[in-house]
Amino acid sequence: MQVEQVDFVSVPTRDSARAVAWYRDVLGLPVQGEKFVPNENGIALRFADVEAAVEEVRGQGAELMGIQDSGVCHMGFVKDPDGNVLILHRRYKPRG
Amino acid sequence: LADLGVERADFISVPVQDLSRAVDFYGKTLGLPQNPNTGPRWVEFELGNVSLALVSPEVMGPEFEARGHQMPIAFRVSDVDEARQKLEAEGVEFPDGTIDSGVCHLATFSDPDGNTLQLHRRYAPFADGSKP
Repeated sequence: MQVEQVDFVSVPTRDSARAVAWYRDVLGLPVQGEKFVPNENGIALRFADVEAAVEEVRGQGAELMGIQDSGVCHMGFVKDPDGNVLILHRRYKPRG
Repeated sequence: LADLGVERADFISVPVQDLSRAVDFYGKTLGLPQNPNTGPRWVEFELGNVSLALVSPEVMGPEFEARGHQMPIAFRVSDVDEARQKLEAEGVEFPDGTIDSGVCHLATFSDPDGNTLQLHRRYAPFADGSKP
C-alpha cells in the first residue's frame, strides 16, 4: 500500500459560514470551495514570525492558549471560533 | 484580508498513548516513511505535503491522555479497495463498507489509539476540470 499524501484533515464546525470567514479573513487562507476539516488536536501552520502572527490573530479576537519554545521551534496555540486548536509554528533549529 | 503569511501546514498532531505501538502502526502497517531526524520522543512521518507528528506521554508527560481525532485524516491512495484489502490482511478492521460519495471513494478505519483515518481517492475532476 502506497500512501501518496494527506488529502485533507477534517475540521468540524457548527457554523460553516463563520468558519469559512475566519479561515479566510483572519488566517488569510485561500478558500477553494472544499469542506474544512477541524479538530481539537493541533494543526501546525508555518509562519515566518510566530510572535507577530500570534499578535495579529489575537487582535482579530482569537483565543490564545499559550506560547511555547520547544527548544527547536516556536509554537503559538490558538483556537478558531469552533474551538479547533491551531499551532502557529516555526522551527528555528536545523534538522539532523 | 489578513496578511499573516501562512506558508503551509507543517504537521498534524496525532495523539497516542503508546508511542512504540503507534510507530509500528504508522511505520509498518501503513508503510509511512519516518523522518530520520525525529525521535525517539518526538516522531514524525512524512507524507509529502504535511507531516504527522505523534504526540505521546513521552513528550507531554505521564498525565497525558490521548484523545484521538474524531474527524478523519484522509490518506490518498491509488485504489481504495486494494489498500483496504491489504490493511485487512494485517488485521486492521473497517467497521463499515467503502463509501462512494459521488466524487470519491472513502474507507474509514482507526489507529490503535482511536484516531479516525480514511483511505481516500477522488475520481471526479474538480470544478476547474483538474484532477487530484
